[in-house]
Amino acid sequence: MLKIRSLDVAYGGLNALSDVSLDVEEGQFVAVVGPNGAGKTTLFKTISGVVTPIAGEITYKGQDLLKVPPNERAQLGIAHVPEGRQVFASMTVMENLEMGSCTRKSRSRRAELLKTIVELFPILAERRDQLAGTLSGGEQQMLAIGRGLASAPDLLMLDEPSMGLAPTIVDAIFDRIEFIHRHHGVTILLVEQRVAEALELCDRGYVLETGRMVLEGSHDTLISNTRVKHAYLGM
Amino acid sequence: MGRSDRAKQYFAIFAFAAVYLLIGWFVRNSYYQLMMTLVLIWATVGISWNMLSGYSGMISFGHAAFFGLGGYTMTIAFVTFGITPWIGIPLGIIVGMIAGIIIGLPTFRLRGHYFALSMLAYPLAMLYVFEWMGYQEVSLPMKREAPILYAQFNDQRTYMVLALVLLVICMIISMHVERSRFGRSLLAIKQNEAAASAAGINPLRWKMLAMMLSAAIGAAAGGLYAIVLLVVTPQTMFGALVSAQALIMALFGGVGVFWGPVIGAAVLVPLAETLHAELGSIIPGIQGVVYGIAIIVIILLAPEGIYWRIREWVARPAAPIERPGLGAPAATSVASVVSTVEPRASAAPAENPLLHLQAVRRTFGGLRAVDDVTLDIKAGTIHGIIGPNGAGKTTLFNVINGFLAADTGSITFASTNLTGLKPHDVCRHGIGRTFQVVRAFPRMTVLENVVIGAFVGSTNNAEAERLAMTALDRVGLADEQAYAIAGGLTTKQLRLMELARALAPRPRLLLLDETLAGLGHDALEDVLRIIRQINRDGVTIAIIEHTMHAMVKLVDRFSVLDHGKLIADGAPADVVKDRTVIEAYLGRKWMERAQDSVA
Amino acid sequence: MEELKWFAVDFFQAVTAGLLVGGTYGLMCVGLGIIFGVMRVVNFAQGDFMMLGMYVTYYLVTGFGMLAFLGPYAGPVIGAALAGPVVFVIGWLLHRYLLARVTGARVISAEAEGHYTQIIMTLGVALVLANGGLILFGSTPLSVQTPMSRESWEVGLIFFNQARTVAFVLAILFAVGLYIFLTKSDLGKMLRAAADNPIAAAYVGIDVDRSHRFAFGLGVGITAVAGGLLASTQSFQPYIGFDFVIVMYAGVVLGGMGSILGAFWGGLTIGLVQQVSTLFLPYQLQNTAIFVIFLLIIFFRPQGMFGRVWERA
Repeated sequence: MLKIRSLDVAYGGLNALSDVSLDVEEGQFVAVVGPNGAGKTTLFKTISGVVTPIAGEITYKGQDLLKVPPNERAQLGIAHVPEGRQVFASMTVMENLEMGSCTRKSRSRRAELLKTIVELFPILAERRDQLAGTLSGGEQQMLAIGRGLASAPDLLMLDEPSMGLAPTIVDAIFDRIEFIHRHHGVTILLVEQRVAEALELCDRGYVLETGRMVLEGSHDTLISNTRVKHAYLGM
Repeated sequence: MGRSDRAKQYFAIFAFAAVYLLIGWFVRNSYYQLMMTLVLIWATVGISWNMLSGYSGMISFGHAAFFGLGGYTMTIAFVTFGITPWIGIPLGIIVGMIAGIIIGLPTFRLRGHYFALSMLAYPLAMLYVFEWMGYQEVSLPMKREAPILYAQFNDQRTYMVLALVLLVICMIISMHVERSRFGRSLLAIKQNEAAASAAGINPLRWKMLAMMLSAAIGAAAGGLYAIVLLVVTPQTMFGALVSAQALIMALFGGVGVFWGPVIGAAVLVPLAETLHAELGSIIPGIQGVVYGIAIIVIILLAPEGIYWRIREWVARPAAPIERPGLGAPAATSVASVVSTVEPRASAAPAENPLLHLQAVRRTFGGLRAVDDVTLDIKAGTIHGIIGPNGAGKTTLFNVINGFLAADTGSITFASTNLTGLKPHDVCRHGIGRTFQVVRAFPRMTVLENVVIGAFVGSTNNAEAERLAMTALDRVGLADEQAYAIAGGLTTKQLRLMELARALAPRPRLLLLDETLAGLGHDALEDVLRIIRQINRDGVTIAIIEHTMHAMVKLVDRFSVLDHGKLIADGAPADVVKDRTVIEAYLGRKWMERAQDSVA
Repeated sequence: MEELKWFAVDFFQAVTAGLLVGGTYGLMCVGLGIIFGVMRVVNFAQGDFMMLGMYVTYYLVTGFGMLAFLGPYAGPVIGAALAGPVVFVIGWLLHRYLLARVTGARVISAEAEGHYTQIIMTLGVALVLANGGLILFGSTPLSVQTPMSRESWEVGLIFFNQARTVAFVLAILFAVGLYIFLTKSDLGKMLRAAADNPIAAAYVGIDVDRSHRFAFGLGVGITAVAGGLLASTQSFQPYIGFDFVIVMYAGVVLGGMGSILGAFWGGLTIGLVQQVSTLFLPYQLQNTAIFVIFLLIIFFRPQGMFGRVWERA
């Protein structure tokens, strides 16, 4: 479904990504892990169109994604749940979710989609009229994921959902992510710093280190792989 | 020390004055004589605007306040008290300066658009007040019995000479400001106030000085304007168009350089005045339209003004433009500058930590960004601060540095209590800081960029330059690289320059924030080597980094933060094996899995 | 005792006048609130767009008499309402071809000046509009005459100027209409989302550039309608815009950045302050009281009455 080949990206004067290649098949759960500064968020920004690569190609369902303007990419079925949540702080929970279903595809199915999301994250129903900026970190993360799901995406991209959240909440969030994948069959591309959670759930994983893919493999080959540990802790 | 450069500037100023006088001598039509005088006055107003807004970046939309106060002080002194303008104008200058202080003190606490809006309000309020006081239109009486005593001249050209004298004085003042540490400090503040204060520059002090000087010049121009026109009304002295013109002259001609307003006035005033004279009766308001279009066009095409655009254009075949600054020191051989590099005080004995944080806490809203952190940094060591994203590392630095106040807890640096000090004071005590995002002055040389850091440790420019050169040598950017234009540097060179800037005042402790991020393998090795050498020379280093491999090879000690708390502290080999650390980075399940596989 | 009674009457008359004019100020501030409060764009030309609204209304109603068929009561009202779309289009075009070039990420920040180029650009626009207005419309003060301009309803001892009262009611209606649009319609919510967080908005598929353009047009259009309503209650000339700039900013800041509702209350309060201050201050200084309030808020409570606790970066 998503094919990335030899991507080179410069961001903020640095070589953020060098010769990065990646595959996501439909229905898969793919994880990209790596220490901070490895370039994971830059990868997502490039897929979303906020950043333009110097070289390489991105194909989505056979279509050259680089030719599509950023706000059109959402219309194609790509949902990006950004790093740091980025909820619409001055709008209510419900309005945030409604904004998630702005795409042509999802607008007509909005009521049904929102109902599903609220089942997944009951706390959102409780807080439906509360301003998103007043929610706790974990609740905002759930809202952001819900907003992503509201567009009935074919590809759900999650950028470091664990960032800044307490461990128990992180567990709960990953639990839900797993449920979304298993139960609703959504294709997921997850970027995470916390390796274990990500590799646990994935079908396929990639390890990114200072802008390069240094390791890739199936769930089994990566888990407990000492090379991964080395990438993080240098020993 | 750029003496020849300065001489060239003087020559240019006086040449300009001479040429102007010459042209003025031949102009017989009194209307054009008036226009030539007005050009000079508006150029002076533009210089006044530049002094505050051009140099420091605090954009003022209210310079009419000073212009009007100067004009009205002189007028009221003249009309009500019979005081001659020769005294009245200096009086106006004093009033202007006082107004500058009164306005500046509260308003400088405001940021960005709030500052701009406030500045807008002041002259408008003054306008209403003066209208209410009954000064709708005040004419200066003719003093036929002693005209010269009251600065009244038959020949319009005399006014032109007066205006020229005032302008030349202001140009010279501007020139000196630009080249002085005052000007450099303002520029640093404009570029990045946080980094400037971390480098020891006191923002409020310099801004107030700029405001006072700016107000003084504006008031002088206002006083002269009133004499020339002989009629003052609140609208012509405090009106929005006055503030707008102050801005436009500098913006159009060139922001941040004293020639700018001169160019701006020389182009725009004749244009507007001529159009007004020719078409004013059919098209009233043509002046405003001209100025408005001038702003729009210049913002779109040359946002910093014509002067800079022309210089870039002229210099294009050669290297990128070098702004006139401190200039290249005549024949300073680097070898003579490099000496034993000692930190300012001798290193403290190894038992007492150099920096001691005790139970420091800082919250934002409900989030504990720094949660009860107690740690020591021993003198002479390289101390790494690591932790996953969002752990609070930069916040910790910001608290040490003085950008943020700690909610509770204390920070002691070699027996001085740093808690509550402002960043520039912290710097003065011997702590240097680099920032994640390096914002250099792209048009200035490396040396000029680094010298800004040296001001706090020196009393004069020569000394500052020596310190800067020493620092550059320590990071390996001496020789030709010191005179390279910062805009063309590689990432590694930029980082080294930033390092040099922090090193210039010879601090005892350096706080490095992600200096190694994004560097390729070779560049990384170079920078590591340099950091190690700096440390061997006696500078204690605290460094935040993500690239673990590098850190492991570099540091003597690690402190690991997670969610604001200190979760580990010790030798690298131990910390990296520490369970809590691995968990923080890789996740609890990793550890569990590792346990399972071991069991 | 008599004096006290007359003072009370004067006071309530001033309060009434303040509320009535405050309604229109409120609508004006709502327009600015969309632009400044929500999008964080400082628009110096806001007052000049209001001025345009006044003149469009005038020409529609009196000048070209296009709405004469509607009669002297409905004419001015419809005229004011139509001024909205006309100025919307002008604002939209201005944003597309001029302002968009200096706002947002497209500004190459040379030595940290990018931040100000936008404000300065609007200053240029303000000068061109105000002086262009002088050229086009002449300097003679005009007003839209309706039979209601000079008539008042009497309630007890208080006079309600008819034109002002009608303007008040209409201002409230427009404000409510806008509020409903922004909170209930998809388009309105998308505008708010694009202003709140442009990056997240792009991720969910909103065309942020178009949203900003629309919001700008809407903001100046609303202020223009307020101007149109005001046109039948007072006289105006091309430079009137600048008198109102501080009034509007004071209202928005008082009400709280980011709050449309707050902007309305802020404008209403400013109107009150202005009229009540005439009891104590000479009329030339009526705006000075507003300035003082403005400065006080900025210094001591920048988030205003209803401002958000968190500030957008």
